[in-house]
Amino acid sequence: MTAVPGAVREAWRGLATRRRRAVLTGLGIALAAAMLSAAIVVGDGLGRGFDRAARAADLPDVIVRFDPQPRSMVVQRLRALPDIAAYATRQEVTNVGINAAGSGHRRGDAVLELLTSGTRRGYAVVAGRDLHARGDEVLVEKAFAQSWGLRPGSTLNVRGLGPERVVGLVQAPDNVGFPLAKPRFYLALSALDARFGIATPDPRVDYAELWVRDQRHLNEVLVEARASSFGLRGLRFATRSGVRVLLDQAAGIVIDLLVALSLIALVTAGAMLAASARAEVQRRLGTIGVQRAVGASAGHVTLVHALEALLVAAPAAAVGCAAGAIAVAGPTGHLLTLLNEPAPGAALVLPLAGGWLVACALAVGGAAWPVARAASRPVTALLRGADVAGRPAHRIPALARLRAAGPMALGARLVAARRARLITSVLVLGLSAAFVLLVLALASELSALQTDPGALGKRYQLTAALPPSDAARARRIAGVQAVAPRYDVQAVDSFSLGETIDVIAYPGDHTVFEAPPMVAGRRLRGDGEAEIGEGLAQALGLSPGQTLALQLPSGSELRLRVSGLVSSLDHDGRVAYVPARALLRADPSAGSVLAVRVAAGADASRVSRALGPLGITPAPTGGATARGAPLVAVLRAIIRAVAVVDGLVCLYVLVQACSVTVLERRRTVAVLRACGAGAGVVRRLLLGAALALVIPAAVVGYLVQRLVLGPAVSHLAAGYAELPLRASGADVAVTAAGLLVAAVAAVWWVARQAARESVLSGLAS
Amino acid sequence: MTGQRLTRRLTRRRVLAEGLGGAGALVLGAGLAGCGTGEGRAAAASGSTRRSTWRDTVGDGQLRVTPGEGMLTRPELGAPSRDGPVLATLAHVTDAHVLDASSPARVSFLDRLGAPFESTFRPQEALTAQVLAGGARAVRALSPDAVIQGGDLIDNDQNNELVHGLAALHGGVVHPGSGRRGYDGVQLRSDTDPFYYRPAVDAPVYPALLSDAVRPFRSPGVRAPVLPVLGDHDALVAGTVVPTALTRALAVGDRALWDLPQGLDVPAGLRARSTGSPDGPPDPGVVDALLRQALRGPTVPVPADPGRRQLSFAESVSRLVTAGGRGVGAAPGPRLDYTVDIGAAVRVVVLDLVRRGGGSGGQVDASQPAWLARELQAAGDRWVVVVTHQPLLSSQSGEDVLAVLDRSPRVIAALNGHTHRNVVTARRTAAGGYWLIATASLIDFPQQARALQIRATARGGVAIHAWMLDHVGDGALGGISRQLSYIDAQGGRPQGFAGSARDRNVILYRGPVR
Repeated sequence: MTAVPGAVREAWRGLATRRRRAVLTGLGIALAAAMLSAAIVVGDGLGRGFDRAARAADLPDVIVRFDPQPRSMVVQRLRALPDIAAYATRQEVTNVGINAAGSGHRRGDAVLELLTSGTRRGYAVVAGRDLHARGDEVLVEKAFAQSWGLRPGSTLNVRGLGPERVVGLVQAPDNVGFPLAKPRFYLALSALDARFGIATPDPRVDYAELWVRDQRHLNEVLVEARASSFGLRGLRFATRSGVRVLLDQAAGIVIDLLVALSLIALVTAGAMLAASARAEVQRRLGTIGVQRAVGASAGHVTLVHALEALLVAAPAAAVGCAAGAIAVAGPTGHLLTLLNEPAPGAALVLPLAGGWLVACALAVGGAAWPVARAASRPVTALLRGADVAGRPAHRIPALARLRAAGPMALGARLVAARRARLITSVLVLGLSAAFVLLVLALASELSALQTDPGALGKRYQLTAALPPSDAARARRIAGVQAVAPRYDVQAVDSFSLGETIDVIAYPGDHTVFEAPPMVAGRRLRGDGEAEIGEGLAQALGLSPGQTLALQLPSGSELRLRVSGLVSSLDHDGRVAYVPARALLRADPSAGSVLAVRVAAGADASRVSRALGPLGITPAPTGGATARGAPLVAVLRAIIRAVAVVDGLVCLYVLVQACSVTVLERRRTVAVLRACGAGAGVVRRLLLGAALALVIPAAVVGYLVQRLVLGPAVSHLAAGYAELPLRASGADVAVTAAGLLVAAVAAVWWVARQAARESVLSGLAS
Repeated sequence: MTGQRLTRRLTRRRVLAEGLGGAGALVLGAGLAGCGTGEGRAAAASGSTRRSTWRDTVGDGQLRVTPGEGMLTRPELGAPSRDGPVLATLAHVTDAHVLDASSPARVSFLDRLGAPFESTFRPQEALTAQVLAGGARAVRALSPDAVIQGGDLIDNDQNNELVHGLAALHGGVVHPGSGRRGYDGVQLRSDTDPFYYRPAVDAPVYPALLSDAVRPFRSPGVRAPVLPVLGDHDALVAGTVVPTALTRALAVGDRALWDLPQGLDVPAGLRARSTGSPDGPPDPGVVDALLRQALRGPTVPVPADPGRRQLSFAESVSRLVTAGGRGVGAAPGPRLDYTVDIGAAVRVVVLDLVRRGGGSGGQVDASQPAWLARELQAAGDRWVVVVTHQPLLSSQSGEDVLAVLDRSPRVIAALNGHTHRNVVTARRTAAGGYWLIATASLIDFPQQARALQIRATARGGVAIHAWMLDHVGDGALGGISRQLSYIDAQGGRPQGFAGSARDRNVILYRGPVR
């Protein structure tokens, strides 16, 4: 039995004698823990954000939108539905003019949510208080309030109503916040009635919220709601999952990418922690041999090293976790506000504590496991400085050929002599490099998603809110290659009414304007067929040859045979390309814009100007996150923070590798210096050692990113579409240069340390 | 066709987040929700709601078997007193609406116009014969002296409906459905009209429901004399229209009206005139006009079936009487008015209020009050139960009949159906008063019949022990029908057809003759 207090004292003494090394190790653990905690903050904050927001806001299970109807009629139908725990109705008034007193902010397109009935309201009051039945007061969406500097007590001037006092800030996750969406504010109809001394006994409403008692029966509720909805026009159901899909139109793929990235970061950080702990032990095999030689048991030695690791890891991981969380908490919080989602707050404590525990466990396990294995080997082998693997060292042919190439080659050979450590260090560096490459590829993809419609398979550059009859005139404009009405309808699956589908239709060949890549089947032919996104196919279990049943806002059901699956990032891949004739037969009121494809080499802005005389200014076609420019900026900040931490990890690994080489080869270095070698020779020696790590690491990094991380993140974030997360040549060059810079910095720092040691003490070691 | 699908999904982001949080197993797939056939507790085999009944205990729209409902004493017409011997046991089974869901003569498309057409389509309408057979099983367990078939045994005045309904009630093999395929109606999965519940694709999903619904089955029957009452649906198309050449041709033909034609709407003012009865639109002219208008629009080809021929009044009455056998006694005239004595102490008088000119509401013929008065007079010391299909209170000239009843000290109850609603009301009169008892239907929720046990009391009056009977022994189809009828947003649940406790299991006291 090993005495634990004694082992603690021994571990403590060990640390005290190797203070600098302990600090270095702690730094590595802190960096890895920082990455880990950053991953947790981003992943938990964004990944669970919607669910958290839905809980906090009491988001309804079903949102029903329809053209305005008398409230009494709507309420009568809602009451008749089964499984209903509560309901509320609203009127959404759009294009409301507002300005903030004294700030100069002014908008003419605000959305007023006029609350007409119900006690449950589907928003969370995050500051101030809820509306009272009387008084000139409004609630303002938090993202909008932050943007305009509004707070409880501020005044918001509403055109037609005058000044309204802001009494609270709210978050409602049924839509993204300003500026991703239009500014929203809330007002109670009862307060308006009281103010103007009128009674609106049966106001018209166009929005109903339903809360069910048991989610399992939601589809039954929806079927009944549909069956009793006859006469309601423009009917659209949205369940929570449907709302999430709609929100994803603004940010979904980006968030999914970030969360997937966090998952990879988490795995990478774990691997780095374990690998660096193992490298540290390898360096101390001799010490272990001495401990065993003087009679310490294998268990005692293992315990001492584990405790040593714990004493370093616990505070380092705590500092790292805190630093990582702080680094990304700001941008993540801002991003969540834009998404109308609350920051996790105290809910993060447990996951972060878990992250801290994981970091400590990996560090301790990574140290204890190789020690245990080493300590069980013969003492003589340990004293000879054998490696953990215990196998004779193999010469690496490429490095062997460097024999005559001077100090740099010697440095490389010194590193190569410890093969297991070389592999570990190369792997850690390679993983870090792969991660940096991944981040760079992600940044490029985000940029493309934001600005390049081509990323979505869109081949048209402009859209104009003109009737289909204007297509011929638009086609005659110079520089226009093709024009066609683009019909876009929000439908749901007729057999599973909670599943939202973006239905797109063109008369004729849609691939002229939109051609997302086919992944199965073939393009649609004829009026009875549809191409669907892979996301939709996954959600509904559809494959080519099966039937897609669309429930359209007109109330009609359109059934089409699935001809093929396409890879689309739009709407999480929940899209269906259908023939316009079939769509218009089922829903003659389907809305459209003119999609304009500009000829190759023609100037889109010129075409846009030429379209002006037709009566409307065309809008440039956006990407998957076209509404989310501010969002992408925040995301870039998060990625930058993660990348910086990762870069520091690389630097740490290189410094540690060089330090270990110098420490282990003190005598060699001392001999060189005794023979007259100056600081330059030592630097070249270390540079050789660093390059022996950096060059294979760069290759490993490239391969890992290309073959593992890129496809993994792409699949995790968007398994329903092709998302090419491949680092470009420039990205690879930048990463390699970064590694080189890190190597030079490490060499410079370690060489300076080595130069401080006297030659004599080096020779005596 | 996609068929059954995953109805719940875990998003990719959620899965990732769960992964980050270290959450363990993630379960995909929801499958079919419970079909409301009861969980963890068996329904009483007798169907007696005194032992167990079906309730939505948590308000989630799912019926579960729950403990029975106690008997509530109602002393409005007499002080409670110790019970004496049982004078008669009756069962009131009404508004079964056994229907041919494949019939081209159905006007299901009117359902979406809402009131007063909400009864033209029901999600559970393919299962009416099975439910009636289940009701017959419950009645059989009661072993009554007589079964009052309270009217609207069938739904659309068709021969095949009557064949199915009589077989289910009296016992025998029932062959539901019609046409070559058995079912060819608006609930087929191939129908693209989303306003109809299509069990193979709409929630709650029952992929084989329609084929199961038309599979032949054996009904045990009530094993008791049956006293038929004529209902409007037994002799009128949709309970409203006197069969015409057009409706007759439609019924046996191969063109069906499934979709609401463009521009067809309820005539102005009709909603205001609606009586609120779920039993059918009140105005025959309106239905006839809508039908003519609809026939100008698109129709769906279906297999023709001569077995769907529509019945005349005379044939309907004659076949009901014949099936009733010795229970009815001497054949009545053109109206199904007759009297039957149950044992030595109880007389049942049946009145036929169906309008011969069309319309679903009741109408008292000028000769009926006098005939009724004579029958009451002849009852002597017997207690009298009067039965109609439509409520007397809302029937045209119903007050003339009520006046006769009000004068008779031996009348203890007036039963009716038609409204599909359980209601028990005391009618106080100088002669001692009587109970107006309306019983729910077997087609809409709560899909119940009523047991009536008439007992003498120690003080010389009577006590009517009345309790509801659930249909039983009809397997999964019966349970599905009950559940579908419950969630139907136009059905008996939102309209409160089950009534209150005062309308269901009650002991109704009536004092002695003054």
